[in-house]
Amino acid sequence: MSAPSSAAIPSVATDVRVSATDVTRVYGEGAAEVHALRGVTVSFPAGRFNAIMGPSGSGKSTLMHILAGLDRPTTGTVVLDGTELTSLGDKELTELRRDQVGFVFQSFNLLPVLDARENIVLPLSIAGRKPDPEWLDRLIDAVGLRDRLTHRPSELSGGQQQRVAIARALATRPAVVFADEPTGNLDSKSSTEVLELLRRSVDEFGQTVIMVTHDARAASYADRLLLLGDGRIVHDGGAATPEAILDLLKQAA
Amino acid sequence: MGKVAFRGLFARKLRLALTALAIALGVTLISGTYVFTDTINASFDRIFQASNKGTDASITAREGVSTDQGTTPTLPQPLLAKVRAQPEVAQAEGSVFDIATVFDAKGHKIGATGSPSFVGSVSQLARFRATTVKTGRFPRSSGEAVIDAGSAQREGIRVGDRIAVQAAARKTTFRVVGTVQVAGVDSFGGSTVVDLVLPEAQRVLGKVGRLDQIQTAGRPGVTPVELRAALRRALPPSVVVRTGQQQAAKESRDIRDQLGFLTTALLAFAGISLFVGAFIIFNTFSITVTQRIREFALLRTLGASRAQVMRAVLGEGLVLGVLGSAVGLALGLVTAIGLRALFKAVGVELPSSGAVIATRTILVSVLVGTVVTVASALAPALRATRVPPIEALREGVAPTLKGPSRLTTILAALLTATGVALMCLGLFGHQSETAALSLMGGGVAATFLGVALLSPYLVRPLASAVGRPIQRVAGITGRLARENTMRQPGRTAVTAAALMIGVALVTFASIFAAGARESIAKAVDENLTAGLVVQSDDGFSPFSAGALAAVRRVDGVGRVSPIRFSRAEGRGPSQDLGKPSVTGVDPATFRSLYQVEILQGGEQAMRALSTGRVAIAAKRFAEDHDLHPGSVVRLRTPTNAVIGVRIAGVYDDKGGLLANLAFDNRELAREFGETKDSFGLVGIRPGQNLQAVERRVKAVLDRAYPATDVLTAKEFKDQQSGQVNQLLGLIYALLSLAIIVSLFGIVNTLVLSISERTRELGMLRAIGTSRRQVKRMIRWEAVITALIGGLLGAVLGTILAVLFTRPLDGFVLSIPVANLLVLLVLAGLAGVLAAVLPARRAAKLDVLDALAYE
Repeated sequence: MSAPSSAAIPSVATDVRVSATDVTRVYGEGAAEVHALRGVTVSFPAGRFNAIMGPSGSGKSTLMHILAGLDRPTTGTVVLDGTELTSLGDKELTELRRDQVGFVFQSFNLLPVLDARENIVLPLSIAGRKPDPEWLDRLIDAVGLRDRLTHRPSELSGGQQQRVAIARALATRPAVVFADEPTGNLDSKSSTEVLELLRRSVDEFGQTVIMVTHDARAASYADRLLLLGDGRIVHDGGAATPEAILDLLKQAA
Repeated sequence: MGKVAFRGLFARKLRLALTALAIALGVTLISGTYVFTDTINASFDRIFQASNKGTDASITAREGVSTDQGTTPTLPQPLLAKVRAQPEVAQAEGSVFDIATVFDAKGHKIGATGSPSFVGSVSQLARFRATTVKTGRFPRSSGEAVIDAGSAQREGIRVGDRIAVQAAARKTTFRVVGTVQVAGVDSFGGSTVVDLVLPEAQRVLGKVGRLDQIQTAGRPGVTPVELRAALRRALPPSVVVRTGQQQAAKESRDIRDQLGFLTTALLAFAGISLFVGAFIIFNTFSITVTQRIREFALLRTLGASRAQVMRAVLGEGLVLGVLGSAVGLALGLVTAIGLRALFKAVGVELPSSGAVIATRTILVSVLVGTVVTVASALAPALRATRVPPIEALREGVAPTLKGPSRLTTILAALLTATGVALMCLGLFGHQSETAALSLMGGGVAATFLGVALLSPYLVRPLASAVGRPIQRVAGITGRLARENTMRQPGRTAVTAAALMIGVALVTFASIFAAGARESIAKAVDENLTAGLVVQSDDGFSPFSAGALAAVRRVDGVGRVSPIRFSRAEGRGPSQDLGKPSVTGVDPATFRSLYQVEILQGGEQAMRALSTGRVAIAAKRFAEDHDLHPGSVVRLRTPTNAVIGVRIAGVYDDKGGLLANLAFDNRELAREFGETKDSFGLVGIRPGQNLQAVERRVKAVLDRAYPATDVLTAKEFKDQQSGQVNQLLGLIYALLSLAIIVSLFGIVNTLVLSISERTRELGMLRAIGTSRRQVKRMIRWEAVITALIGGLLGAVLGTILAVLFTRPLDGFVLSIPVANLLVLLVLAGLAGVLAAVLPARRAAKLDVLDALAYE
């Protein structure tokens, strides 16, 4: 592992990239009402790798969607990189996602009609900006796909596709990268590659990563572990081994 | 299983509506055409029934050859005395009736544009009268006239007002003494009718001593059939005797035959729309079958047979077909009104009185629409049956369509080749006109199908080429649009091919029209040496020979050469001649006013025409029928005369004025009964000012023969081009239906593709693509598809036009490049229009829902 880049490390260690205050989310009405989040307050400082875990229906995905500006809280506020999200319209939210947020999805979600390089720079293309060639170079080396750049997604393995997706998420140097079950569709070897890549993006590039997962081994790569249960945070602690995480999950269940 | 089919059908209402409309529009034109023409026919039937109701037997001259617009043969007036002398005849009376031009007191032409006006004689006997008086009375003396109440109302003419009439005789003024109705209706099917006393009508129509018809009533106890038999025995074979009912039926049939062309033409355009609609149906079913592969596989695992799957898909087609046809049928009734308006807009007013909806209209509309839909769904249905049950268990990999198989490609190439061969056979072979037209029509359809099947191979390069500049302008949205159109080349190809057909036909018509205009211009410039041309004010009807006689006396006018047209049928020395069209010329003056090259027979061939029973033949006609100077042909003329004619020469008329055979005008009057001129070529004396002479000629014509116009060569050229443009406008309007259908196809394909790409769109939105960018992407996708269709159509249309104009003598091929470029731009804009709805749908997708979409 090479030395962390000084430029990418945030100047203030306590610099908060994204925070939620008293966030609730209710779906449906009346008898069909579902309380996905029941008052969550949490903040994510810069340059750390966060894992959010919890059983199905615990609200972990909802929390991530709300933090990323894909969904709106019923009550409460979300601040991302100094911007209060709940007051933004669709247009501003779209621009914020484009410039400030990176996404990695479980099913890769690459555009099949574009080759690997075009997929990586897609957020920049959408914004109508030229990629910084130096940054792009580092990124391509980091994901290890230099010889695959002209291949289309159908010609890449699942692990390779997910590495392209991570490079795409990092391309705009966003304030936060959200990863939604990034290893959910991968075998263990590819999973390791992807998790190490996310880890390196934090250590080397000072990226802030928030990952939702239900794989304890994946969560063990994180610096911080949040456990959700029934719409509330039930655990907020530091890094842990997979075994310790499994114990925590058992306690929470 | 039935339930499954209908659930699939009604689950997507937009798709259902769009696909049903694709069929409905073609059906609309079918039912609209039938209702339209049936209504016209019915109103004429009523008129003819009414006008013959008091007639037991009717006598007319036997027509040797039916002519489209030439003069029909007449009876000699003394025949009436012979008829009256028959013991079975109680009453008999003669009448005349022919086309004329009617003017109001101020000299303005009255009558609906395009619909002819008539002058007839009023019978002295009420039982033979077609009309009844509405106001005033019937005419009693030569200065009096009645006019149909419909025209009187439209033009504000009242009893006591003056009107003028011009036909064979010079313009004559009459006092209106009454208005009349036919069968209790004011309008004579849209035409203006003026009735005069018989001698005056004969004079006006140039039929002094002649009759068009003798109506008879039998003595009590003599049936119409007995009367007919008696008259047939007593009268010469040159006349035809019919019962009153037969006469009415014959008149109805004649109108039907004349309108038959219109019906066929409109149905042909309906066929084009349905053909395009079939592409849309095929594409829609192909896409939905592909999207539902897993569903079919699941049904198969649960024990559904192949036949059941097939029935499910075809059942969907059946419901869709019936639904679309029903909608089309209903729209057709509305369209019948629209068609009337369309024809009126281009100057043809047709009569109507209450829409006639025949059983045949309903049957044909529903049957054709349904059969086309089910047939188009057949290939996709067959593919649905081939889905192996294992597909249901396959996870992750979305099943995709394979490209065209080798077999399809070979078949497509064969189909294209067959199409081209059929067209060539139709164009260059020697067969009847109908056979040639069927061959060409079938050939074009086969070529379109073949090219459509081959087009998946063209989609990639074309999309790539068309998309490149778009990508440069639009950036990532253009890039994605371009890639999306190339993603499923087969789907894009069929969508574009539907538009291709419409664009190809528009291109074809444009090139044909441009060529026709060029050819006319060239003919006028190179062949016409006359300074002025006299013609009917509608541009094509024959007009009184008196007009040119009057023009001859105008100061400054030199030679005047009338041109007449007629038809004949007959045999050459070695083969049948069919029905050659015939031109009459004045041999003494013709060649000084019009350049025509005599290929065989030498310079004296033209002079020989004056000796009678001599004709000269057009180059192509002579070649096709093995005619040479000295050949003798036997012709039957419209007056039923059979004459032996010697061919004196062969000419090459690059200007296209002379028809298959040319005679002396006197021969046309004598043997063909044609005494009217169709064109007059007028030379100017040396040293005279053209405009001044034109003004003087115009003044003379306006005074005595206002139904004729005089034009300078340039005006004549413009006027003829104007007629071409008018026809072109009508064709464009009818083809626009096929283009609209193909736009539904683009909308449908986009909507289906978008639903397939929901997750992708969700991701794009999640990583920061704005709604506007999504819309733009869809729009460009539609534009690229439309441009592919436009380009293919323009190229195919050009090739067809070049091919089809090969056999035309003297046709100047001219490609209207600017028009074609405009056409392509319009195709692109049509794409933008087609994208409005799909783009809005795509932009409205909820990001989270889309990401979770399976």
